[in-house]
Amino acid sequence: MIRSTHIPRRTFLRGLGTALALPAFEAMLPARALAAGNAKFPTRMAFVYIPNGVIPDKWHVKGKGSDFQFSHILEPLKAHRDDLLVFSGLAHTKARSNGDGAGDHARANATFLTGRQARKTAGADIRVGVSVDQLAAQKIGGQTRLPSLELSSDGRRMSGNCDSGYSCAYQFNLAWKSESTPLPPESDPSLVFERLFSNGNNREKNENRIRRERYKKSILDFVLEDAKALEKKLGYTDQRKLEEYLTSVRELEKRVTASGASAVDLPKGFKVPAGKPRDFGAHVRMMADMMALAFQTDSTRVATYLLAHDGDNRSYPHLGVKGGHHSLSHHRNNSRNISDLTKINRYHCELFAHLLDRLKSIKEGDETLLDHSMIVYGGAIGDGNRHTHHDLPVVLAGKANGAIKTGRHAICPRETPMANLFLNMLDIMGAPTQRMGDSTGRLKGLL
Amino acid sequence: MKFATIILSLLSAACVSAADLVKVSFEKDILPILEENCFSCHGDGEAKGDLSLDEFKTASDVHRGYKIWEKVRKLVLANEMPPENKKKRPNARQRALLADWTRHTLDTFYRTAPADPGRVTVRRLNRTEYNNTIRDLMRVDFMPAKDFPADDSGYGFDNIGDVLTMSPLLMEKYFAAAEKIAAKAVAIPDADGRIAATPFQKIYFRYPVPPKLRRNAAEAFVRTFLTRAYRRPVRPEEVRRLMILAKQVVDEGASFEQGIRMAVAATLVSPHFLFRWELDGAPKNPKAIRSLNEHELASRISFFIWNSMPDDALLELAKRGQLRKNLPTQIRRMLRDPKAQSFVTNFTGQWLQLRNLEMLQPDKRLFSAFNNAVRSDMRRETEMLFAHVMRDNRSVVDLLDANYSFVNDRLANWYGLKNVKGGQFRRVSLAGTPRGGVLTHASVLTLTSDPNRTSPVKRGNFVLENILGTPPPPPPDNVPDLEPSAELKGTLRQQMVKHRENPVCASCHQKMDPIGFAFENFDAVGRWRTLDNGAPIDAASQLDTGEKFRDATGLRKILAVRKRDLFVRCLTEKMLTFALGRGLKFYDKRAVDGIMKQMGRDGFKFETLVTGIVKSLPFDMKRGEEGK
Repeated sequence: MIRSTHIPRRTFLRGLGTALALPAFEAMLPARALAAGNAKFPTRMAFVYIPNGVIPDKWHVKGKGSDFQFSHILEPLKAHRDDLLVFSGLAHTKARSNGDGAGDHARANATFLTGRQARKTAGADIRVGVSVDQLAAQKIGGQTRLPSLELSSDGRRMSGNCDSGYSCAYQFNLAWKSESTPLPPESDPSLVFERLFSNGNNREKNENRIRRERYKKSILDFVLEDAKALEKKLGYTDQRKLEEYLTSVRELEKRVTASGASAVDLPKGFKVPAGKPRDFGAHVRMMADMMALAFQTDSTRVATYLLAHDGDNRSYPHLGVKGGHHSLSHHRNNSRNISDLTKINRYHCELFAHLLDRLKSIKEGDETLLDHSMIVYGGAIGDGNRHTHHDLPVVLAGKANGAIKTGRHAICPRETPMANLFLNMLDIMGAPTQRMGDSTGRLKGLL
Repeated sequence: MKFATIILSLLSAACVSAADLVKVSFEKDILPILEENCFSCHGDGEAKGDLSLDEFKTASDVHRGYKIWEKVRKLVLANEMPPENKKKRPNARQRALLADWTRHTLDTFYRTAPADPGRVTVRRLNRTEYNNTIRDLMRVDFMPAKDFPADDSGYGFDNIGDVLTMSPLLMEKYFAAAEKIAAKAVAIPDADGRIAATPFQKIYFRYPVPPKLRRNAAEAFVRTFLTRAYRRPVRPEEVRRLMILAKQVVDEGASFEQGIRMAVAATLVSPHFLFRWELDGAPKNPKAIRSLNEHELASRISFFIWNSMPDDALLELAKRGQLRKNLPTQIRRMLRDPKAQSFVTNFTGQWLQLRNLEMLQPDKRLFSAFNNAVRSDMRRETEMLFAHVMRDNRSVVDLLDANYSFVNDRLANWYGLKNVKGGQFRRVSLAGTPRGGVLTHASVLTLTSDPNRTSPVKRGNFVLENILGTPPPPPPDNVPDLEPSAELKGTLRQQMVKHRENPVCASCHQKMDPIGFAFENFDAVGRWRTLDNGAPIDAASQLDTGEKFRDATGLRKILAVRKRDLFVRCLTEKMLTFALGRGLKFYDKRAVDGIMKQMGRDGFKFETLVTGIVKSLPFDMKRGEEGK
């Protein structure tokens, strides 16, 4: 019998996703940014989605420019005042019915980062548009190990039909890689962690790693050939499915090829997540930590986080709130419901503040990670009671390496497409484009 | 019935019976409504949005333009057309007549249109199917897909080809899982060359495998394994390529078993394994209709009833071309196999939304007795009733109307049933109790409630959508604000009456609310109660179609007797959707009608439903895809 001592059982064919016990190394600065002799730290971009709209007059801030007063809901962000750009007047008109009938929650969720009208279908031919994060990832994703990171707090899906004839794909995904391919988010922080750190570490013998990667490469070649053999025998839709498969395999291939240079080490003292906490707040904070960690280690520069899907009916008993979020959001002007909703809106801001705290606690040169980021927090429903899609709740945090002037309240003309902001952000990320979604031009005066 | 009387009945119920609709004439009754309200933009030379309705001069013109008319109907019903700012807009009566007639005439047309099996988009294995398939193929059962991202669903189910997308993240997970599975299923020799062969290895190899025979053993393995994994005969070329891959590892000095691992891992990420292809000669010709070959059929049946790959018995029948000849026997065997439990869990989990129970958090202060044990008991009860109907081949109407159920001591206590001791579930009679059928199961009652109170609207909507298959139209876009209400007093029902005074809301709520009221004697976690907010509960009501009832039991009788056909149709449509992995199209009405007819002949037996689906045109045949 041929026995091999070269390939220990533990590492044979071990690949992405296997559990690892990681030693704590010194926190490293983003390797490539420095290696490239680039004094500037990379700019990171993220989007955090909040569902079901807000109580508008409790959300909107008073005063304009740097002379604004925090609203009740936004108050938890007060400590980050100098890093905030609060928007008024942004709209997502493509989240409106526009002849498609009911389904504002699904549409809001699907439109938020795409600026496009979701095709109304429960399954066949789902289509919306490429999302802003993916437009950035397409351009700069190759510079990091993961082109982008998709996160969500909603691991389990509601069963049954989703919102009014829209496929659930619209309501549970923020990122769309192509018009018809959403990128499913990860909801278990321990799995996110594994993803970030499982690609080998410095302790693994180089020889083994190379061998493992070569085997993986062989398998990738093998299945690519399998897939190609199918190509000519397929109908239109099946062909699209095969293309999704091919794209995914190729992306993995790229990563295998590049992984030698991209082993990432865990910042010192980082607490490895053990699983998904049952408590919503604890869960969200842990996901935020994962996003910060991904940015800190330069594993990716683009992230999206569905804090909760639009239409979510979670209950928040620890806030003293009775009833589910969505049911409450149709508050019928009942004062108790309004006060309960305000509590939920404010609580979400507290959770967002945790992300900002975390980003700010990470030093990059003389500045912080937050200084090098731009994080959009908001949703595509304004008034949750009426399902409006204008005057959206939107806050941007972080100076994006000095590209954004924060500490102020920017009042945009009514019905300014949110996609206009996305154009500016894509410029900042080095992925400029002339149009996206329903954009009409760049916002003026971001700096 | 004269048209004038039709109008009268419309005024009262905004709904016309099919018998009356037959008498509605397009030329006399429908066209005038169009002329008056639509032609200013869509007729007489105007064609806004490329639509001119004056092209439709007869009912058969409407049939030919069914795609347009489905849309017209939707927009009219949703009050979106004509737009609000137009002076001439149809009244509620005209809208209802237009919508109901369009539905009726198109349905009639669909039933008589040329037979069309439709086309199912290739289906990626979803998480359940992946887990089950790995269990059956690899003899390891550790749910490797539990870390995969959730599958999106469409048409109420998570096995719809169109919505099952593939992403780089998922591909990563497939690779990681494949490697883990290969390592678990294939043991490698220890330092002394000994091997503790796994169940998987014992299927394919007799240990020890002498070095001389290894090549042959490997080739035999690859051929058999691939046939199972790809669920079809394999080509020599496919065997050869996998052999090369395995050999590469062995040539570098690894063990024979490590070579096998390599072959297994590669197979498990191949598109032939991860997707269920049904390759056609003319994939882009919608007129090219063909029967499935028997291997494809075996897969469809197996993934329908077991949510897993076909077993050797099915593959063998398919290989000999004997599967179609043995369908009833095979279906009966499969429904009684423990693997059919997956169908029970998945189908009820989605059709009746039992999955949602896992996520619900009833208010702890109000429902302190609710805990995870009760939560899983609830789900278990409903699954057991369904499984019972399935395995004993009972009438599917039992699901609505069974005067028995399955409980343990905890659930019996929840229901106030006496003399049930011990944690194991057993069948109990519900005669003389207010319960019977899934609608009075604590599972359904809980998942149609809000965390802190019952929701007659949700319960009513649940019945309309999942039991009767007559979902109410979605709420209108611009629901006017209700007056700010002072602290509301009285039962929830009394509060809701106020809500329904608003005519915009009333048209739908009078469909949903009465059904929901029937269940007001069951609280938000499904326990019996007689008071709500301190006031006595009144569960009596009247459906918008006229039937009166006193309570949930009365409603149950109406549903199980007078509305039986609606229920059977609804269940058939849901199950056909699940079985096909695609949404139903107009041309599937014919298949549904056929299945219903067979069921009607033998008392709505469960097996007749499943066999009917398997033998139906859309399940048994397919065609090429039309261009976009």
